[in-house]
Amino acid sequence: MAKRKSLIKIKPKKYTTGDIVKVSFMVMHPMDTGTGKDKKTGKIIPAHYINEVKFLFNDKPFTTMKTWESLSANPVFTINFKVPGPGKLKVIFTDNQGEVNETSKKIKPKG
Amino acid sequence: MQRRSFLRGITIAAAASTVVTPTMVMGAAPVGANALGIDAAIKAITGGKKTVASSKVHMKAPEIAENGAVVPITVQVDSPMTEADYVKAIHIFASKNGNVRCADVMLTPANGKAMFAARIKLGTSQDVIALVETSTGEFLTAKQNVKVTIGGCG
Repeated sequence: MAKRKSLIKIKPKKYTTGDIVKVSFMVMHPMDTGTGKDKKTGKIIPAHYINEVKFLFNDKPFTTMKTWESLSANPVFTINFKVPGPGKLKVIFTDNQGEVNETSKKIKPKG
Repeated sequence: MQRRSFLRGITIAAAASTVVTPTMVMGAAPVGANALGIDAAIKAITGGKKTVASSKVHMKAPEIAENGAVVPITVQVDSPMTEADYVKAIHIFASKNGNVRCADVMLTPANGKAMFAARIKLGTSQDVIALVETSTGEFLTAKQNVKVTIGGCG
């Protein structure tokens, strides 16, 4: 199973406990709709898209998403998050072909 | 004579291939499991409850999108996000796509603010609709028309 390139970004970079930050999760994924054709072979590319994204903080889920093929390729999901303290932010994502990947980032509030 | 039969063979083969490919394409056209009309899709979530167009829901989307494959949208909801009153879910629909559903985002008070941003694909010019479900059981909507110059599906 291929490991997908993914990344979590937090804005602003400096934050303290109790701040509301923007969490962006980006992943390299084709998000094929199942209607497009391969330009070289002319064959239809089967649907391949992310259908579930879970955001967890210290293994407790706080946001879950169900998604469909209408999202752009290499999607970016942005949500807000209120920092409760130091810990670990983890994102688990699943696609319709059964690939499960995860990525994580440490939360280190200053001050 | 030999040359003639050879050529005839080629033309028949060519004709056969041109006939076969379009039918194959038509037959293989996928029908999504979630391919519902926009009204049916909204009804499936609300369960027949009334939806209210609300000024609390702010949706940012471009009026004209040159490339339908990448249309950035942002939905923000005015909500205190406390245990008593928070935004439970934000659903995003594209009214004329093959599959109208784009994303369902389930939020909790831990988010602090109700916001969701992503980039979506739009096949043609259409309305993008945000349906917001609050913890008090209300359904709020906001919609914006986006004109698409080049479609982004397929």
